[in-house]
Amino acid sequence: MPTKPAGTLYRGKTGMWSWVLHRITGVAIFFFLLVHTLDTALVRMSPADYDKVIATYKGAIIGFAELGLVAAILFHALNGIRVTLIDFWSKGTKYQRVMFWIVIALAVILFAGFAPRHIMNVIHDIELGY
Amino acid sequence: MSDVKVIDEIPTYQVTLFVRRFNQEDGLEARWEDFDVTVHGTDRVLDALHKIKWEQDGSLTFRRSCAHGVCGSDAMRINGRNRLACKTLIKDLDMTKPIYVEPIKGLTVEKDLVVDMNPFYEAYRAVKPFLIASDKPEKERIQSPEERERFEDTTKCILCAACTSSCPVFWTDGQYFGPAAIVNAHRFIFDSRDEGAEVRLDILNDKEGVWRCRTTFNCTEACPRGIEVTKAIAEVKQAILRGKP
Amino acid sequence: MVVIETPRSPRSRKAAKFERWGWLYMRISGMFLLVLIFGHLIINLVMNGGITQISFAFVAGKWADPFWKIWDGLMLWLALIHGTNGMRTIVNDYTERETLRKVLNYTLWVVCASLIILGTLVVTTFDPCVDSSVSHTLSVCK
Repeated sequence: MPTKPAGTLYRGKTGMWSWVLHRITGVAIFFFLLVHTLDTALVRMSPADYDKVIATYKGAIIGFAELGLVAAILFHALNGIRVTLIDFWSKGTKYQRVMFWIVIALAVILFAGFAPRHIMNVIHDIELGY
Repeated sequence: MSDVKVIDEIPTYQVTLFVRRFNQEDGLEARWEDFDVTVHGTDRVLDALHKIKWEQDGSLTFRRSCAHGVCGSDAMRINGRNRLACKTLIKDLDMTKPIYVEPIKGLTVEKDLVVDMNPFYEAYRAVKPFLIASDKPEKERIQSPEERERFEDTTKCILCAACTSSCPVFWTDGQYFGPAAIVNAHRFIFDSRDEGAEVRLDILNDKEGVWRCRTTFNCTEACPRGIEVTKAIAEVKQAILRGKP
Repeated sequence: MVVIETPRSPRSRKAAKFERWGWLYMRISGMFLLVLIFGHLIINLVMNGGITQISFAFVAGKWADPFWKIWDGLMLWLALIHGTNGMRTIVNDYTERETLRKVLNYTLWVVCASLIILGTLVVTTFDPCVDSSVSHTLSVCK
């Protein structure tokens, strides 16, 4: 019997959506971290295999996926500062919304600085025939 | 010669309300039911619900007592956000679109807009929301205006559950104490006359206590009394870390 | 003093203490990770050709300096515990069955501990000359 009937999505504001994004980016980074620890472990066992794996990191598909990873890290890190300020700074709760927009703005600026450079590096490597 | 001014009639509007209906006894799933209502510019969502109940469908079930924003009975989700139906003017909503009214989340629905509030009250009782003092003074307990100001904000709670049922962590398993219980603990923890702060801080240091708060600010935005709920929770967290208020 | 019975059964103090430290750990490790990971990204993905420079020789070059070994080791420990504790919070939020919750959390910590042990061994026992076919160009192995 549906005793907790689903209704509309709760229309929370920036605070709720920043939490949702923080969770999603956190999970994504966690799974990358597992893979990244394993692939880096190859430097101890088989340097040749390590270079092969790293070559795929430089390829088109994973090379572009890294943009998503960096975007996720930027948001998670900057929003992490926001959350910590909310917890420890006496005026943090008052400025939480403006801090959210600062987080977004900083993440966009840093990403805009990183993305073209990284894309050029990936394309350069593909042209070299990796 | 007539100096009687004709006062404009209060404008009326046609609005559609989508109300979430549920009745354990009919064995049907919860569903949306729409009602067309003529409302005045001064009407609140509660007035529209009254009109539906009195003129269209007497089986529509919801709670309300004082109808003036003090008793805390009619918290519900209006257009996706927790509000008091008696404090939400219809003309402040977008009347060109249907207005969605549904029960608050995270508590078991009993009928239509009525939920089982017992888990909510249990969490409230668990934080000992009463003055704990060992002395028996002959006169009133003296407190300076500054000492009173320390917990002024959290005295305003009317236990409507708008905050607790707006919290995404409370929706998950209902085990979290929830913002309302922490607000009421705050009201006594920071009261200079009270001696039970350590007990309450210990209770809220529980694994379902303040540490489950993820500062989404849904509670602060939902509170019909304008209490800065997330701030109060942050102050309780700091007090637990310090070990004293 | 009037004593009133606690309406809720008291929970274990151990679990309660853990939650407080978990909460604090996320914030403190987060601030360290901010420096460690941003530094890692700038050195490995932005400077000197970014991702194109990365290879076994690049790692060997970095780890010739104990400074980067400590950097990467710290990042490994702090990030894995931070991530695992975050996943634990999510599991606690969204699992309803107690057994499922325990299984998932147990798995998370086993994976976390294994990767920390593996990663620590890799960093501490790293040998740039382990495979001569790759490392013969490195000056340290000549």
